[in-house]
Amino acid sequence: MPILQVQGLRKAYGPVVAVDGISFEVEAGEVFTIIGPNGAGKTTTLEMIEGLVPPDAGSIVVDGLTWARDADRIKYRIGIQPQSSAMYDLLTVEENLELFATFYPRARDTKDVLAMINLTDHRNKRVKSLSGGQRQRLAIGLGMINDPDIIFLDEPTTGLDPQARRNIWDIVLGLKAMGKTTILTTHYMEEAEKLSDRVCIVDQGKVVTLDTPSALIGRLTREREVRLSFLDGEEAAAAAETAVHDASGVVRTSREGAHLALWSVRPEETLYDLFGFTKERGYRVDQVSIRELSLEDVFIAFTGKEWRD
Amino acid sequence: MNWSKQFRKLFSANLKVMFREKQVWFWNIFFPIILMTIFMVIFGGSDGSDFKAKIAVVKPAAGQAADGMLASLKQIPVFEWKSEEPVTAEQADDWIKEKDVDGVIYLPEDEHAQSLKLVVNTENEQNATTQVIRGILEQIVQQSNLAAAGIQTPTYHLETLSVSSGSEDLNYTDFLMTGMIALALAQGGLFGMVDLVEMRRKGLMKRLRMTPIRMGLLGLASMLVRFLLGVFQVVCLSAIGVFLFGAHLHIDVPTLLVAFFIGSLAFNALGYLFSSFSKTLEAYMGFANIASFLMMFISGIFFPASSLPGWLQPVKDVLPLTYFAEGLRDGLVYGSGIESTEFWLGAGVLALWGAVAYLIGATLYRRGKVEAR
Repeated sequence: MPILQVQGLRKAYGPVVAVDGISFEVEAGEVFTIIGPNGAGKTTTLEMIEGLVPPDAGSIVVDGLTWARDADRIKYRIGIQPQSSAMYDLLTVEENLELFATFYPRARDTKDVLAMINLTDHRNKRVKSLSGGQRQRLAIGLGMINDPDIIFLDEPTTGLDPQARRNIWDIVLGLKAMGKTTILTTHYMEEAEKLSDRVCIVDQGKVVTLDTPSALIGRLTREREVRLSFLDGEEAAAAAETAVHDASGVVRTSREGAHLALWSVRPEETLYDLFGFTKERGYRVDQVSIRELSLEDVFIAFTGKEWRD
Repeated sequence: MNWSKQFRKLFSANLKVMFREKQVWFWNIFFPIILMTIFMVIFGGSDGSDFKAKIAVVKPAAGQAADGMLASLKQIPVFEWKSEEPVTAEQADDWIKEKDVDGVIYLPEDEHAQSLKLVVNTENEQNATTQVIRGILEQIVQQSNLAAAGIQTPTYHLETLSVSSGSEDLNYTDFLMTGMIALALAQGGLFGMVDLVEMRRKGLMKRLRMTPIRMGLLGLASMLVRFLLGVFQVVCLSAIGVFLFGAHLHIDVPTLLVAFFIGSLAFNALGYLFSSFSKTLEAYMGFANIASFLMMFISGIFFPASSLPGWLQPVKDVLPLTYFAEGLRDGLVYGSGIESTEFWLGAGVLALWGAVAYLIGATLYRRGKVEAR
């Protein structure tokens, strides 16, 4: 039984259709990531699930509960870190947590939350004077003050430096270890690949594809890019290019000086043949690389759009 | 759910937020104090007893009439003499232009031209000192005329007494102090709802709506904090008025409470209305400033509203600050009011303003919520 079921969600603002029939299910304990270009409808989708925006059509079931009948009970069970990360700037970290704790019938101990978001040392600092990363961690802390089963993180790492991003990843992995369900949106492919159990790519208000990161990558065309450079210069590279042209699986090649690039649907066989040839001729190969496919390639393949951070 | 705990936390959070904001201190406490002090120093200081008018005399020609006049002028205690002896017309002109004297009196030129001339700087033509000098001179002329007509003892006398409904006379200091308290409280409401605009702009409203918080409880807590700030304002301004400027208090607690409560609510409702259609801080401040300036000068805060031109009187009669200031004066210095129909009529006007502003504001907020993304 999935903990969250979203069926045929639709929302239009005037003539602009922001969300156009989005459906998915999230299992308990999963990290479920929604990625998509700006304006794809990610935030609107989240806001409908969070009960902030009423959908024009479609249904949302949170562990058997619906917004129409059980608004408060859903609110008790979900935690939200919104993109704007708004809080009381003139209150301290601890005062913010304690205040939000009183909104819920059951709240996690403030000390635990402070430890989880690693802000114990800064608990008496006013929010105004926190750094971007600290502020974002507090926003997540406010989202988990009610010990929710499902936590929504809307672009938690946008605009943070690499170290601060890693700190947030640790929190997400910590939540996963506790068996919580996390629904995440992000701008960073690396993050989606690293954290997610499943990834949902959204574009123009529709679900483009949805699967585990490795399955999505595996679904891509098997044409891989192989790059080599030769110590014996241009001549060797040119000879290798001619030789490899007829090798099995090679789709196309391109050469620039001593650097050769080739695209093959069977990279292992191609390389085997190529190395046979270079050994025979005595050419020395300096560097070899097979570019790994990433979610970024998946994104480009499915949406036809360049990914921009 | 522990409502009382939630309310206590909301109250203390709102209290901290309010008193940690330097702007709140400046605009709600220091600014009214500065304004009141300035007005009291400029206008409140002069009682009738230490009124002095600096004058000089020009005597064009020696003559019995002129000498007689001069002798009687010297008897008048409020005149301070720039020069004991009469001066030349040129010297007198200089003094007037430089404003070294409040006025110069030209004594009669000869026995036949029995006219007394008063020359003042044009800038001061309408001011109170000129009026007083003119009044004194007119009396002297009158008496001289009576004497010339052979009447030694006038048949009629004029006596002036001032009467106030309070137990003590309401002087300008009392009037200004209570006006400033009303203005400070009104501005607290008009400007105070800027929090709402900021909370909405920063997304805090939205964030709170994600939690199961009761918005009514939040509103109640923040209103209670505003009342507390209001009490603080009343105490500060009264203390400064009484101890520094000798204002008198004659408090009637029920009157004061009713006026304070209804007035504060009404002005907070007006602020709430402004916040409902102001998308930015600047827009909100603009509306609050217009409202506050308009009322400040028309509603009898610094000067009695009765001195306004006739066509402005109906405007004054509908503005809420007029009734708020009157109500607070009733409660703070007249020591009565709750039993008078006028007081309750004023309270009714305030309540009407508050209710209408709140209803429109709430409607706009509801409509805005549907449109908000």
